[in-house]
Amino acid sequence: MMQHRLSSALWFCAPFVVLLVLWTVLIPYFNVNPRLFPHLGSVIQAGLEGIKDGTLIQHIGASLMRVAVGTVLALLVAIPLGIAMGVSPVVSSFLTPLFRFFSVLAGIAWIPIATLWFGYGFGAITFVIFNAVFFIVTYNTLLGVSTIPLPVRNAAASLGAGKWAMLTEVLLPGALPNIVTGIRTGLGFAWRGLIAAEMIATNVGLGYMLFVARDFYKTEVIVLGMIVIGVLWLLLDRLLLAPLERATIERWGMVQRS
Amino acid sequence: MKNLTIRNLSKTYFDPYAGTNVTAVHDVSLNVEQGEFVCIVGPSGCGKTTILNMIAGFLPHTGGDILVGGRPVNGPGPDRGVVFQSFALFPWKTVLENVAFGPKMRGVGKAEREKIAHEYLALAKLTEAAGRYPAELSGGMQQRVGVVRALANEPDVLLMDEPFASVDAQTRMTLQEELTRIWQEKRPTVIFITHDVAEAVFLANRVVALSKGRVLEEIDVDLPRPRSWDALNDDPQFKELTGRVLQLVRSA
Ligand SMILES: Nc1ncnc2c1ncn2[C@@H]1O[C@H](COP(=O)(O)OP(=O)(O)OP(=O)(O)O)[C@@H](O)[C@H]1O
Ligand SMILES: [Mg+2]
Repeated sequence: MMQHRLSSALWFCAPFVVLLVLWTVLIPYFNVNPRLFPHLGSVIQAGLEGIKDGTLIQHIGASLMRVAVGTVLALLVAIPLGIAMGVSPVVSSFLTPLFRFFSVLAGIAWIPIATLWFGYGFGAITFVIFNAVFFIVTYNTLLGVSTIPLPVRNAAASLGAGKWAMLTEVLLPGALPNIVTGIRTGLGFAWRGLIAAEMIATNVGLGYMLFVARDFYKTEVIVLGMIVIGVLWLLLDRLLLAPLERATIERWGMVQRS
Repeated sequence: MKNLTIRNLSKTYFDPYAGTNVTAVHDVSLNVEQGEFVCIVGPSGCGKTTILNMIAGFLPHTGGDILVGGRPVNGPGPDRGVVFQSFALFPWKTVLENVAFGPKMRGVGKAEREKIAHEYLALAKLTEAAGRYPAELSGGMQQRVGVVRALANEPDVLLMDEPFASVDAQTRMTLQEELTRIWQEKRPTVIFITHDVAEAVFLANRVVALSKGRVLEEIDVDLPRPRSWDALNDDPQFKELTGRVLQLVRSA
């Protein structure tokens, strides 16, 4: 098991290693202008400098903070709302198309209206993230509750579960696999939306760092930003979200194990 | 003493496709004394599940009365435990937590309710499975959990709707023998629904034959206990009883 994990992690890294090797070899070989694409060495140097003078950490911190705040706010509203809607078949079938529609709009499409409503800054960006997470998680929660078989709810009721116990012991855990999937998808959209919004609507954050570097032809900072954005997402997804999803869905046998 | 009284029970469904009312249960009356094991047997569609769901409180009735210990039934409650054909275990709880659920709802503390759960799991030979999740058990084991989960809550009446219909024949026979053994030990009041005549006679003190939503006849079964398939397979009285019930159900 441990060995399997290790080898699959190595296999996951393999194509990136190849990419890095090609990068170190090909850029000097073709003598590419650093204004078009940087050397690996200058990207590493930009990274180290950013860490030393604190700017990179500041951008990362600002971005993560916005994601955290937007996501937590969204979950606080989305999960109770999704459950309330899911327990009534009429309400849930009525609202499902609406939430599907807004789920598709996730993230980026909200940026213009967000800047109109909140101006440039924290509010607008948090709003974009909130929307990216909120609609998808609400929709998934609603779906999760409505897929709990009626006999399971009946069983709880006939074992003496009241309203509160029904919520905490049946509806919430029953919908949890869907909720986790919703969070994972929603955060994916939120992360993309965040970078886009930061290019337009703020003066700190990874998206901003990327966009400003362009004005000074600092390709090493642009590429550094792209790498950080990708790596942060992979870490978040692989170390936090995917294991959470596995733990609920597979252990409980709520979907087929592959 | 908590007995179950059903008086002139009826249920009319509205069929949205035909646009008409369908009466699934007509004027059913039945009295079940505490500690009795009653089987309701009848062909598919005769209203068995409808009756059971009304007693459980999952479905409102449209006529008559259902009384448990003299009190009218109003919605589901812990005085009536239910064992479902689809098991209906909580997939996110371990076997132990499933069985301890009823006591937990009563406010029994963690240590005490786990003790109760362990005791009932032992009764169904499930001690080994206590820490596993339902998805990790066979169908037969899952239904054993379903039975003891309902029993551990010590309901006045245990309602079972074709609980063994979805397991294989051998497992079903084992589960039937186990159920009669557990019943003898704990003596719960049981209403057991099935379309399998031999199963009904094997388990019951009394068999109620149902057809098209009406009670045809009640037949007392005074076969000796403990009952086992080995002993009853060639028993003339068992054969005579099953023959009679089968004829009743088929002739209607
Ligand atoms: N929700 C419903 N709406 C309309 N008609 C229903 C509904 N549920 C059951 N019926 C009808 O009531 C009758 C009795 O159904 P019920 O499920 O109680 O039968 P059953 O004896 O349990 O059958 P089976 O052995 O197949 O489970 C059937 O004719 C069925 O079509
Ligand atoms: Mg039925």
